[in-house]
Amino acid sequence: MESRKTGNAPAHFNVGDLVRVKDLPNLFYSRTQMYVRGVRGTIAARTYEDLLPEDEAWNRDDAQPEQFYIVRFRQKDLWDGYPFENDTLQTELPDRWLEPAGD
Amino acid sequence: MAQTHDHGDHSHPAAPMVEEISDFEILEIAVRELAIEKGLFTAEDHRKFTEWAEQIGPAGGSRLVAKAWTDPAFKARVLSDGVAACREIGIDWAEPTGQGTPSDYMELRVLEDTPTLHHVIVCTLCSCYPRPLLGHSPYWYRSPNYRRRLVRWPRQVLTEFGLVLPPEVEIRVEDSNQKCRFMVLPMRPAGTESWSEEQLAEIVTRDCMIGVALPRPDRKADDVRPVHKASRPVGGEHHEPGGSP
Repeated sequence: MESRKTGNAPAHFNVGDLVRVKDLPNLFYSRTQMYVRGVRGTIAARTYEDLLPEDEAWNRDDAQPEQFYIVRFRQKDLWDGYPFENDTLQTELPDRWLEPAGD
Repeated sequence: MAQTHDHGDHSHPAAPMVEEISDFEILEIAVRELAIEKGLFTAEDHRKFTEWAEQIGPAGGSRLVAKAWTDPAFKARVLSDGVAACREIGIDWAEPTGQGTPSDYMELRVLEDTPTLHHVIVCTLCSCYPRPLLGHSPYWYRSPNYRRRLVRWPRQVLTEFGLVLPPEVEIRVEDSNQKCRFMVLPMRPAGTESWSEEQLAEIVTRDCMIGVALPRPDRKADDVRPVHKASRPVGGEHHEPGGSP
């Protein structure tokens, strides 16, 4: 529960863009799950702009807010040998954790 | 408490039957007591808030789904701005603080099921849940077992809930890891065409809005659950309670 930051940070991605989740080091706190790191997904929605949990955890209210997205992954890309072709998983990630994967 | 049990090559004391308390619970108690001492709120305020938070329940979600099923324009608003749609049926995500309850935030995304797409929600990192709509989450939703297995083996976990979906239906797991909260808008079951909104709301149970069950015309939230007799009871025949053995 905190005031929503609106720093109008430029959003790096649009709905439909292919992205890859970066595998950054964890500095004490993160909400980027290990199982999505390095995996390619698609931007399913833009959600809101806010501080990153990595900053919020330390009360860094003056940190730069970023755009968050709902990213959709294929279960087959997340888990080796996942047997069902169509199944997907969505989770939410901010710009800092994403890089273009448009190949 | 000196009882032990053997595991063949080793033995260890039986776990004492005491309530476990986590570091975070201790932290919460410490911060709460400091806040009370400082006069930010009273113990009575805290009790009242807890009582309020714990009586919410899933009925608001059921009403939202039933209205969305019967009113296409409302459904469109539910899908485009969930928090605003909630306000239309008297659920204000900003209560009781003006900014919502701690960790509920003000972002709701309602996920619409279709004949080829089924959603199910989880929070692998903790227990994020759309509490203003559904109340407190069930215990299993917060268990490490559900949280770690649903993302990896969704179909197997759903099967354990009695929900078996054909492979051609896409299962979409929503791992609620940031500030958006999610709720499933299930499909309206056949056989309910002439039903009123109130009747429809009765079959939209909590589990249907998490995505581990589907609404059925013959199953209401307040149904008395049937007693199943054992098909192969130990010792042969099944005996009615109170009957002679």
